[in-house]
Amino acid sequence: MGDKNKADTSLNPKQRSRREFLENAGTTAALASAVPVLGISTAQAQSDTESTAAKTRIQLTVNGSRHSVDVEDRWTLVEVLRDQLDLTGTKIGCDRSECGACTVIMNGKPVYSCSQLAVWADGAQVTTVEGLASGGQLSAVQQAFVENNGPQCGFCTPGQLMTATALLSNNATPNADEVKQALVGNLCRCSNYNAIVEAVVMAGERSGGAA
Amino acid sequence: MKAFTNINVSSIDEAVSAATQASSNGQSVAFSGGGTDLLQQLKDGTDTSDVVINLRNVDGAKEISSASGITRIGGLITLDELSNSGLNDVLTQAAASVGTPQIRNVATLSGNVTQRPWCWYYRNGFNCYKAGGDECFSVTGENQQHAIYGGGPSYIVHPSDLAPALAALGASFIVAGPDGERTVNANDFFVMPSQDPARENSLASGELLVGVSLPTPAANSVSHYHKIMDREAWTHAEVSVAAVLTMNGEIIESASIVLGGVATVPWKLTAVESYLVGRQLSADVVTMAGQMAIAGARPLAKNGHKVPMTSAAVERTLLALVNG
Amino acid sequence: MSEAIHIGLDPLNTIGNATARVDAVERVTGEAKYSRDFKLPGMLYAQILRSPHPHARIRAIDTSAAEALPGVRAVITGDNASVVWGAGSVSGGRQYNDPTKDATLHRRYIFNNPLRFVGDSVAAVAAIDRHTAEQALALIKVDYEELPFVLEPEAALEPGAPQVWPDGNLCPDFRNNFEPMVSNLGDVEAGFAEADQIFEERYETSFIHNAQMEPRAALAHWEADKLTLYSPTQGISNCRHDTARDLGLQDHQVRIICNYMGGGFGNKNQNQDADLVAATLSKQAGAPVMLEFSRRDDWLGVHGRWPTVQYYKIGAKNDGTVTAIQMRGYSGMGPYRKNSGGISGMDVYACPNRLRSISPVYTNRTTSGNFRAPSEPHGFYGVESMMDEVAYKLGVDPVEFTLKNMRRPTDDQPFTNYSLDEVITRGAEQFDWASRRKTTPGSDEGPIKRGSGFSFMMFRAGVGTSSAIVRVDAQRQYTLFVGVTDIGPGAKTTMGMIAAEELGVPLDQVEVVAGDTDRCPYSVGESGSRTTIQTGYAVMQAAKDLNQQIADSGMPTGSDVLIASATPNPSTDGKTRQCFGAHFVEVEVDTRIGTTRIVKYTTVHESGRIINPTTARDQIRGATLQGIGQALHEDLLYDPASGQPLTTGYYRARHLTHLDIPEIDVTFIEVDDGYGPFGAKTAGEAGIILAPAALANAISNAIGVRMTSLPISRDKILEAMA
Repeated sequence: MGDKNKADTSLNPKQRSRREFLENAGTTAALASAVPVLGISTAQAQSDTESTAAKTRIQLTVNGSRHSVDVEDRWTLVEVLRDQLDLTGTKIGCDRSECGACTVIMNGKPVYSCSQLAVWADGAQVTTVEGLASGGQLSAVQQAFVENNGPQCGFCTPGQLMTATALLSNNATPNADEVKQALVGNLCRCSNYNAIVEAVVMAGERSGGAA
Repeated sequence: MKAFTNINVSSIDEAVSAATQASSNGQSVAFSGGGTDLLQQLKDGTDTSDVVINLRNVDGAKEISSASGITRIGGLITLDELSNSGLNDVLTQAAASVGTPQIRNVATLSGNVTQRPWCWYYRNGFNCYKAGGDECFSVTGENQQHAIYGGGPSYIVHPSDLAPALAALGASFIVAGPDGERTVNANDFFVMPSQDPARENSLASGELLVGVSLPTPAANSVSHYHKIMDREAWTHAEVSVAAVLTMNGEIIESASIVLGGVATVPWKLTAVESYLVGRQLSADVVTMAGQMAIAGARPLAKNGHKVPMTSAAVERTLLALVNG
Repeated sequence: MSEAIHIGLDPLNTIGNATARVDAVERVTGEAKYSRDFKLPGMLYAQILRSPHPHARIRAIDTSAAEALPGVRAVITGDNASVVWGAGSVSGGRQYNDPTKDATLHRRYIFNNPLRFVGDSVAAVAAIDRHTAEQALALIKVDYEELPFVLEPEAALEPGAPQVWPDGNLCPDFRNNFEPMVSNLGDVEAGFAEADQIFEERYETSFIHNAQMEPRAALAHWEADKLTLYSPTQGISNCRHDTARDLGLQDHQVRIICNYMGGGFGNKNQNQDADLVAATLSKQAGAPVMLEFSRRDDWLGVHGRWPTVQYYKIGAKNDGTVTAIQMRGYSGMGPYRKNSGGISGMDVYACPNRLRSISPVYTNRTTSGNFRAPSEPHGFYGVESMMDEVAYKLGVDPVEFTLKNMRRPTDDQPFTNYSLDEVITRGAEQFDWASRRKTTPGSDEGPIKRGSGFSFMMFRAGVGTSSAIVRVDAQRQYTLFVGVTDIGPGAKTTMGMIAAEELGVPLDQVEVVAGDTDRCPYSVGESGSRTTIQTGYAVMQAAKDLNQQIADSGMPTGSDVLIASATPNPSTDGKTRQCFGAHFVEVEVDTRIGTTRIVKYTTVHESGRIINPTTARDQIRGATLQGIGQALHEDLLYDPASGQPLTTGYYRARHLTHLDIPEIDVTFIEVDDGYGPFGAKTAGEAGIILAPAALANAISNAIGVRMTSLPISRDKILEAMA
């Protein structure tokens, strides 16, 4: 406990404000439970349109655009992408790192955006499915998905594409085994796996050698 | 997900201080490396921490350094980095066997070693030993995946792939806490349920695993991690074997064999190890090692299949070392 | 890329050519809007509180704390929202409609009391964001009286078993008689008397969650008395009828929008309680409401394939002739009868003496319902395992045994065409069945054992009614209006291709408008593999009509348009119409660790004329792989003591990953039998029917032990080898 002040000075201001918030958390809870007794619940509930929970401002660069977003600590990256930035191409399939539908590329690597808090992604470079095509031109792997029926229902497709894109940037011409290894964290319940692997291999063959 | 407060820290000292302060406010604390599993637990309500201390911006906590025969690995190294580190085969193979590329890109050594059990009772919110209760529901329930070694009163299996690899390498575990750093060997780091059924390791409140140190392997040592899963990827081990042998030509000089996926802690097969020393890995020796491995197995009603699997896994791990 | 082999018919102008989906670009760029991707001004977020108990009566619910939470706008429970979810429980498990709604004895509501499974809905909350809604759920205080529960269908029929409904646990039929579903042909006792040998075995299959990638969501929005629902449904027309019926509205007061949906495989047929809950909350809150299911909500709150127990008794002569087939089956329906509980398969045999009795049974597990080929994969697994065993015991090649015993056209019952002989013999040849199968099962030396298995089927490809509208304007742009939603197989593209073919124009001259009940005519739901045959035929007829109008009056000019609509009701002239298939698979079983690896997988299907070779290929491959997952991994395990489900979700159900997937070889034998659109038949469900049977037979051929329980997980293999 002796180093409490020292610890505080090392935190930046926005974190200190939340530190103060959490120190007051006990009081806040007591007030909340007192609300109905005070008879102000209806007025309060009807007046707010947005949660009053504490927020932290973070910076994200998504598909090349910089964003400043105020986020609750418990918001996940995928929630911010979909709800705050309206980038709904990224899907929530399981919200538990079990399916891969939410895969985005963060700082060059594919990650599950359902399992990243937005506050952990402060300052990150993020690419989503909306960032793959440029100037109206599909990327090679998107084009291969179009031609070889990569999507069935299409819900896992954005995640498959993001992982495949990350793979192709490290390995321009992967073979089928390498594609399976890289994409193993992306499930497809339509079980269109054969077609997806074929499409990624095809994309590599077409553009990888030339790139 | 419940409301909690995230605190970004940039040093281990800060992390420890923040944890200490939160605890003194009566708040529960979780440290977060990659955060993948922590977020699952927070969403499911099996972890109810009030404060999450985010370690990913901590400087100098993921480095690998070697000095005077000891290799130190920072606990915040990601599994992806570890699998590409060129360190011992058993460790890189274990790291590469975890989860998926997306998970390995963020998950850390410390997080993997200290993750909570994946028992389906615990994870479904049963008030079992691991959740602070006083019962293990697997004993008379669905125990297909549960421990055949070291069980009682809880029968979880230790979920980490790195833990058996590190134990086989003779790693020490570096723990930071309010009283500074301490180094603990595997025996003292991992906790049997008979010692404390609520915990899997000896980290005290406010402490965190910040790294491991390994004796630099001898030039004549070989190692291997063999993991059997219920599908080809993305599950925890049904059975795994971490093996490190030091060879003098064809003769085994020393052996370290540790099981994962079948025991409440990384399970060292000391009898097998002694048996192997001074022998060559002939087919008969390998078979005998596999048989000796299961001498102490105590299966429950529905996990008997793990016994022959363990024999086979030990044999195959040794054969992989013979065949290089 | 690996293309399917096509034998028999040449491509037409558009049909038969590999064609990219008309909406493929939207699907690969993230532009495709799924239900959860819509956002309306002032939209609230909703969540459902679910029962923690397998069986409990609610004594009291106190929602005051939840209502008082800032940001909460509506809380509904059974006390203030008594809305029938008609499609959620139907006497007899038949299609939900007005008569079945009236007849249904065991009615389901959006909130029920007592609660009958872990996951049954208790209450719902709408709030300004999803976290507030979730927080509010935790503030709802429910006083539960726990009741005894039962999980297994056979146990549920025993005297003294806990009663899921007051009338007993055998589900009532559509007349509310509490009788098993019996089908009796010939005289089985005479057949057994005629037999040289009798074979008996019990088979068991597991609950398989549909597990579509998109968890259910519903966005409800009222404008005066008109409800708009953005809902992931397999049939916008059915969803509208059902929702209107349940809410006491006229069809025109409900608009269903679903342009993209993330899979369903049968659990997004009809309307769902999510639609009704969102609509009710939205009405109460006076704002649009987005109800989002978590993955666990979806796993427990929707449905999966019913688990079954099947007792077979087969009589056969020593020459390999089957003389009698008897099956007594039990299907675990959970506490509500959404669908039939059927166990199919024995009808693919010609044997004249067949007795089948199936008891759909209520239990306190999660609800069962349709999953792609609802009655087939588990039934074909049972009967074709049984027949495989009989063939080996009689020393007959299972393929020869099948060719001798399979059903064929008769004078009494002609087929529109019959290609099962060709399907099976071609498959056997391509697979090299003669050399791959072990004539003595389990004969490989050593722990790694190879074996091969085979299965075959015929499956309904009947015709039926549906509607389509085609319009052409003065710029010669054609617009096709069809009420399809495209659940994955590519219906929008298929419909466009059929229209383009009949109209004689390139596909890019046909715009397809789909997925909106205010813009599209009725279409049969995308279930039962009916869309290509039924709606496709309507498209063809509407296009013919339009061609005639153009021939009669010329192309429209100025702002005129020509419009044709069709609602044909075709017949097959008393003939039975079937698609056909055979699967051959070789496996390698590691008998020391119980792992099964697929070495080779060959499929041959006759699904009539193939409209789009690319999407048809992937219907077969994907369905086959789903069947492999059913055979090897998937289950929903319950804790027997507490009645709690333990293995929800993709991780615990061990769904196949990229690394678990073998190459599936596909061959189509194409035939135009003169029915359906250009001779097209069923394809979507065909692949899944055969995979569990073929794989189970292959594993038994490898290890020499019959595997009588799905999934064939490693513990069962190791137990068999012990």
